[in-house]
Amino acid sequence: MAARALGWLTVLALIAGLGAAFGYAPREAVQGNVQRIMYLHVPAVLTAYLAFALVFVGSVGYLLTRRAGWDRLALAAAEPGVLFTGITIVSGSIWGKPTWGTWWTWDARLTSTAVLFLVYVGYLLLRGMVDEPDRRARAAAVVGILGAANIPIVHFSVKWWRALHQPSTILGPEPSPIAAPIAAALLINWIAFTLLFAYLLAKRMEIARLEDTHAG
Amino acid sequence: MPDNWGYVFSAYGLAAVALLGYWRRLAGRAKRLARPAVRAGNVRQG
Repeated sequence: MAARALGWLTVLALIAGLGAAFGYAPREAVQGNVQRIMYLHVPAVLTAYLAFALVFVGSVGYLLTRRAGWDRLALAAAEPGVLFTGITIVSGSIWGKPTWGTWWTWDARLTSTAVLFLVYVGYLLLRGMVDEPDRRARAAAVVGILGAANIPIVHFSVKWWRALHQPSTILGPEPSPIAAPIAAALLINWIAFTLLFAYLLAKRMEIARLEDTHAG
Repeated sequence: MPDNWGYVFSAYGLAAVALLGYWRRLAGRAKRLARPAVRAGNVRQG
């Protein structure tokens, strides 16, 4: 019942997000309407950070307690995390073509994000390769903990290295230079994506619990 | 700069396909797991 309510709340939030991105937010002065990809790209990467932070929490929790619930949390967060990272990379590439003139460049932000994606794809593949539940959970937890080290590398890459990608305009040390309507549209989409992630996480955790029950 | 709506709709369209695809996959798995298991002994012959 609660999951259903969360699902409908997510649908409403996503509709509000689309309305904000395409109706409320103004056309950006320099890039034009192609900048509207930002309302998808930025919330997607922030949600991926949140997902992988939860993989870290679940992994540490499992290694400390050996309780299957922590492992289920890590698994349930990793799958949507990979999905949101994939959306970040693809939407960024589509945005890059008209603005930078290329689909891809080996820039520090793009490369570190691609590494983040591959690490967690590897995490999911590893889980599929080990049959024994405790061994699988321990091995995955180690990757889940080490993989999280990549999150600050991705986020600060634009500060640490010369990059084509623009510096952080939110979650940075300085006040954001974004105009209020653009910031509001971004915030609404960020909330919508966080709700979507919470819904997918709850659904995936329930599936993992049922799978564990069936496995006996 | 031209508006490049094609790029905008491609980005949102691909994201929608990926998210809907994942949601449908989860819904299918949850449905299968919720179904009571069919045991070989319960299957009637003829």
